[in-house]
Amino acid sequence: MDKEKYKVIEEALKLEIAAILSQDIGAIDPEIPLHEMGLDSLGFVELLVIMENKFNIKLMESGLTKNDFKTIKALSLKIKELI
Amino acid sequence: MLSLPYSKTKRYLTGIDWIIHVLNYMTLKETGAGFMSQIVIEVVGKVNADELFKSLNAFIKKYPVLYGYASRDINLAPYWKIPALKKTEVLFDSITAGYDDGFENIIEFLEKKINTAFQDKRHHLAFSLINSENKSYIAMRFDHLIFDAANAEAFIHLFQKQWIDAKYPDSNIIPEPPHLNLWKQKFLAGQRVNRAFLKIADKIPPRVFPLPASKSGFKFKILSFDKQTADEIAEKAFNEAGYLMLMPYALAVSVYCFNKIFINRSITSGDYVIPVSVNTKKQAKEQKSEFFNNVSFFIFKIKADLAENFPGLLNSIKEQMYNQVKEDLPGDLCKASLLMRIAPLFLLGRLMKIYLKGEVASFSFSYLGEATYTSNDFMANKVLNLFHMPRVPIPPGIGIFFQRSNERLNIILSYIDGILKNDEAEEIMNLIRPMLGVK
Repeated sequence: MDKEKYKVIEEALKLEIAAILSQDIGAIDPEIPLHEMGLDSLGFVELLVIMENKFNIKLMESGLTKNDFKTIKALSLKIKELI
Repeated sequence: MLSLPYSKTKRYLTGIDWIIHVLNYMTLKETGAGFMSQIVIEVVGKVNADELFKSLNAFIKKYPVLYGYASRDINLAPYWKIPALKKTEVLFDSITAGYDDGFENIIEFLEKKINTAFQDKRHHLAFSLINSENKSYIAMRFDHLIFDAANAEAFIHLFQKQWIDAKYPDSNIIPEPPHLNLWKQKFLAGQRVNRAFLKIADKIPPRVFPLPASKSGFKFKILSFDKQTADEIAEKAFNEAGYLMLMPYALAVSVYCFNKIFINRSITSGDYVIPVSVNTKKQAKEQKSEFFNNVSFFIFKIKADLAENFPGLLNSIKEQMYNQVKEDLPGDLCKASLLMRIAPLFLLGRLMKIYLKGEVASFSFSYLGEATYTSNDFMANKVLNLFHMPRVPIPPGIGIFFQRSNERLNIILSYIDGILKNDEAEEIMNLIRPMLGVK
């Protein structure tokens, strides 16, 4: 059940990041740091807003620590924890 | 329903393009030169002036759009009139700098260039080459009427790619519809933008530096950091402002440092209002042109009493950025500005000053986080740096720009001569360094 939930979040993140970066979803690696993918402040905040609305959570208020937000993998775990 | 093909000699202007035309009009009126910018590429070795001139000509002649001008269609929508292809030479000049000419002398020469107005309404682009002892500088001066900063960089990058292939194919301008539909959507966006501006507006104008009586050219101060320092700055920003929060961090540092100069000058009235341009190209669902402007804006209002409290300042900027993304202010501005195209430039210029009691902003700010010139070379010369020298619309006539170029970080202060004393401009740059954690 937990694994399924994680997969849904990870897929949603990959889809949105691919859209924001105008890239193919297949090119999105969940372990690459988001800043290395080319995501900037604006794209990142857009991503957080989309995820907040989708999963009814608050991400901006959580301090945005690098360890929790650095990769799709880390961010998926953080979102899973907040749901 | 069949849609008619777009005319190849006509490209409709978006609302943001029209706002850029207004800013160009206002700046031209005040200084005799328009809302222009200049990209400077610093390379190792000498660039052959003849080869550069010939290659640029071969490249540029494929883009008649660069020789266009604004006009108004029978449906009243403004458009860019694209002339037919004809033989024309690119504006180009080259000089050889003396052995003793340091970077400051080079900047002085580049300042002269960026403060030179285009003499013809069909001219929007010019190139300069400075060859010094062991470095060269290639400068592309351009009107914002045809390019935003990212598009201009992408355009030089395209030149580099085509120079390598020695092939300059014909250009194909992506058409833009006249946007004379979806009126309700535009009016609703206008309503939301109006509310957002009323929230920012105050009984008194924002805090500004008084403009000098006589306005000549713009002056520039540049800080440039190598990859290691740029990475350290990014790390500091991530730790203090949160992951990927470089733009809010850079803006907070800028407000903090500008505030010191305002205090020294005993200018204490009003809060800070700062427009921040954002690139909308990446987020666009449809393919966007390499020309014209794919930008929109955030508008930040910073309470003056927060300016000396750095953590509070950072939080306020992050919160406003979050709210404006959530409410899609940049998107609403794009939609609402389509309605403004009906207004002539002089009238829209006046309307823009209404909300803030005759002012437009305290200073301009932008953060260009990703380079669009990504080649390591220019022609066959290794690129050392690429930086922008933008003229800021008047008002406010002063702005600060953070820009990544490949692996470097450049910070450029641009101001109309006389709005700041040289010492004050130096002081801003000196204050920024320790704020970013640089010794």
